[in-house]
Amino acid sequence: MPGKSKQKSNQIKFLTGLILGIIGFCLPLFFTFSGLSYAGHIALGIFLMAAVFWMFETIPIYSTSMLVIFLQVVLLSQQGVIFSDASLPTTTAKQHTSDSWLVPAEAVDGERIYIANDSRNYTAIDVKILDRADWVEIRSNELQTDAKIVSNANHKLVGYKPVSFSLFFGTLASPIIILFLGGFMLAGAAVKYNLDKNLTSVLLKPFGTKPGFIVLGLMVVTATLSAFMSNTATTAMMMTVAIPIVAQVAREDKFRIVLALCIPIAANIGGMATPIGTPPNAIAIANLGQQGINIEFGTWVVMMLPLVILLLFLAWLTMRFLFPTKLREFKLSLKVDFNKSRPAIILYLLFAATVLLWFTESVHGIPSSMVAFLPIAGLTVTGVMKQEDIRSLPWEVLWLVAGGIALGISMENTGLAMWLVSSISWDAFPQIVLLGVFGLVALNLSNFLSNTVTATLVIPLAISMGTSGIAGEGFSLVISSLAIAAACNMAMLLPISTPPNAIAMSTGFIKTPDMVKVGIVIGLIGIVATLVLSQLYWPFIIN
Amino acid sequence: MSDIYIICVEDEPQVLDVVIRDLEQLEEFFPIEGAASANDARQLINEIKEDGNRIGLILCDHIMPGDKGVDLLVEMQKDEFTQSTRKILLTGQAGLDDTIQAVNKARLNQYVSKPWKKEELLKIVIDELTDFVIETEDDLLPYLSVLNQEKLQEAIRSKGYI
Repeated sequence: MPGKSKQKSNQIKFLTGLILGIIGFCLPLFFTFSGLSYAGHIALGIFLMAAVFWMFETIPIYSTSMLVIFLQVVLLSQQGVIFSDASLPTTTAKQHTSDSWLVPAEAVDGERIYIANDSRNYTAIDVKILDRADWVEIRSNELQTDAKIVSNANHKLVGYKPVSFSLFFGTLASPIIILFLGGFMLAGAAVKYNLDKNLTSVLLKPFGTKPGFIVLGLMVVTATLSAFMSNTATTAMMMTVAIPIVAQVAREDKFRIVLALCIPIAANIGGMATPIGTPPNAIAIANLGQQGINIEFGTWVVMMLPLVILLLFLAWLTMRFLFPTKLREFKLSLKVDFNKSRPAIILYLLFAATVLLWFTESVHGIPSSMVAFLPIAGLTVTGVMKQEDIRSLPWEVLWLVAGGIALGISMENTGLAMWLVSSISWDAFPQIVLLGVFGLVALNLSNFLSNTVTATLVIPLAISMGTSGIAGEGFSLVISSLAIAAACNMAMLLPISTPPNAIAMSTGFIKTPDMVKVGIVIGLIGIVATLVLSQLYWPFIIN
Repeated sequence: MSDIYIICVEDEPQVLDVVIRDLEQLEEFFPIEGAASANDARQLINEIKEDGNRIGLILCDHIMPGDKGVDLLVEMQKDEFTQSTRKILLTGQAGLDDTIQAVNKARLNQYVSKPWKKEELLKIVIDELTDFVIETEDDLLPYLSVLNQEKLQEAIRSKGYI
C-alpha cells in the first residue's frame, strides 16, 4: 500500500535517526563540559541517544528503553566496565605553614578539595585559596596531617557514586510498574469477559437518544473506562459502539465527524484521571517516589478530576459549535448481557475490591501498588487469567516506562539534570511562569512524540530544578510533575499525537484539520486551566 | 511493507472483467490481478511471491480449460505461501464431489454461485480480507477505512495495547 516514495522517506528517517543517535551518544566522549561530572557525560550521551531514537522512532520506543537500561548497567553501574575497578587517586597534603597546606593543582575544584575516606568515597571541604602555582597553597581548618586527599578533582568517581546494576534492572519491578501491571490484569480480564462492553451499554442508557446527549454520553463513558483501561483499547471498543450510529448519519452531515472524534478525545482526557490511566502518570509518580514523595491513588484523582471534567465539557461544546447536526434522534441498540460464569463473577468482585481499596488508601494506608497485587495474584490463582492471557498483556509498555524511570535515575544521580537546567537563573521567574513554560514545552513535544517519552524527558528536569533550589522559593515538586504529566496527556492536535487519534483518523470519517481545530482549543485552554488549578486548588489538596 | 493482492481466475474474459469491475473500489489498497486459467494463475502467484508481496484472497472459477479451479485451490492450500490466502469459489457448475473436496482439502472459505450480486460479492470479499489482515498484520489501522471496521476495532480492542 505505501508507495515507493514513502518507503524511501522512511529509510531516510531511519538513517537520520541512527546517525544522529550515534553522534549524540559519542558527543560527550569528545567534548568536556565544565560543571558536569565524568558520569554526567556518560549519562548525557545515553540521554541524547535515547531522545533521538525516541523522536525518530529509529527503533521501537520500548526497545530504546531496553537499550537505555543496558547501557546504564554496562557504563554507569558499580559493577560495569567503567566503575567496577575504579578507585580514587590520592595523595597527601603537605603542611606549608602552621595553617596552610600545599596540594596539587588538579586536586582543587574551584574553592573545594576532596578528602578520600576510602578508595571510593570522599568528603568535599571548602578551602581558601592563598596562592596558585604548580602546587596550590590553601587554608582550611578541616585538614589534618596525613589526610589523604583526592589528587584529581576530575576523576570519574568525583561527583558520582556508582550504584548497583540491580537498581537499573529493579525499575521493572518498581511500585508504579506493579500498579500498572495490576491495571493491565484487570483491563485484560475485563476485555476477555466483555465487562467493558456491558458497562458501556449500562452507562450509555441514561443519556437518551438526542444527538448532543449521545455524544456527551459516549465521552463520559469513554473517559471513565480509559481512566482504568488502555486509551487505545477503550477507543477501539467505543468505536464499535459508534460505528452503527455513524451509519445512521447522512454522508454530508458534519455529525459524523463528532462521532468519530469525540471518542479519542475523551480517551486521551480520561487517561489523566487516575495514576494508572496512562504511562506519563507513572513517570510523574515514579520521579516523585525517588524523592520520597508518595502520591495516593485517591489524591491523584481528586487533583485531576476537575481538569478532566472541564476539558471533557469544553471539548463537547467546541464540537457542538464546530460540527452541528441536522438529525434530531438516533436509534441505539444497546445489548446488556453480563457474563455470569464463575470466572466472570470473580473478576467483577476483584475489580470492585481493587478499585475500592485504591480509593480508600487514606483510610487503610495500604499503598496502591500493594493493592494492585490483589488482582495480579487473585486473577491468576483463580484461573480467570490463563497463561495465554498473561502473555498477551502489553509488556512492552512496562519496559517503556521502566526505561524512562531508569534514565531519570541517572539524570538525577550523575548531576546531569541539574547541569542541564542550571545554565539559566530560573529563580528570576515567578513559579507560575516556570510551570507555564514546562507545560507548553511538554504539550508541544508531546504532540509529536509519545506522551510517555515526553514525560520521561521533561519531568526529571523539573524535579532537579525543585530539589536544587535553582527554581526559587515555592516551587512544588508535586505540582510541577502533575502539571507536566497533564500537559503530556493534553496533546491531541494531530493523528500522530496519540494512538487513539491515529485510530480515529484511520476510520476515514474525519480529516486532519477537524482534529487540529479541537486539539488547539483543548491544548491551550487545558494549559491555562492547569495553571489556575496549580495556584488555587492543588496546594490545598497537597497540604 | 508488502502489498496484499487479490487474484481472480476465470476463463471467460467478459466475466473476468465484471468481477474485477465489481471489486474496483478495493483496488487502491489491494492490487487486483486476473488470470485466464490455472496455469496463468500459478505463474501470477510466482511473480507475486518473487516481488516479495502476498496474496490475501483468490476468487476462482471451477470449470476451465486445463486444470479445474478446485485443483488449484487444493494446491494453494498445500503451499505455505498461499495457505493463509482466503479462498472463494465463484462458479455455477461445481458438482457435489468437487465442492466437498474444496471444503475438505482446500479449506474453502466461501462459495459464491453465479450469477452473483455486486453488493453480496463485495461484502464477502471485504469480510474475508478483514479476517486475512487480522490474522497476518500487526498494524490494522491502514485498513480501517476500507475493510470491515467493526471487526477490526474489535481486534484492536482485544489486542489491548496502549
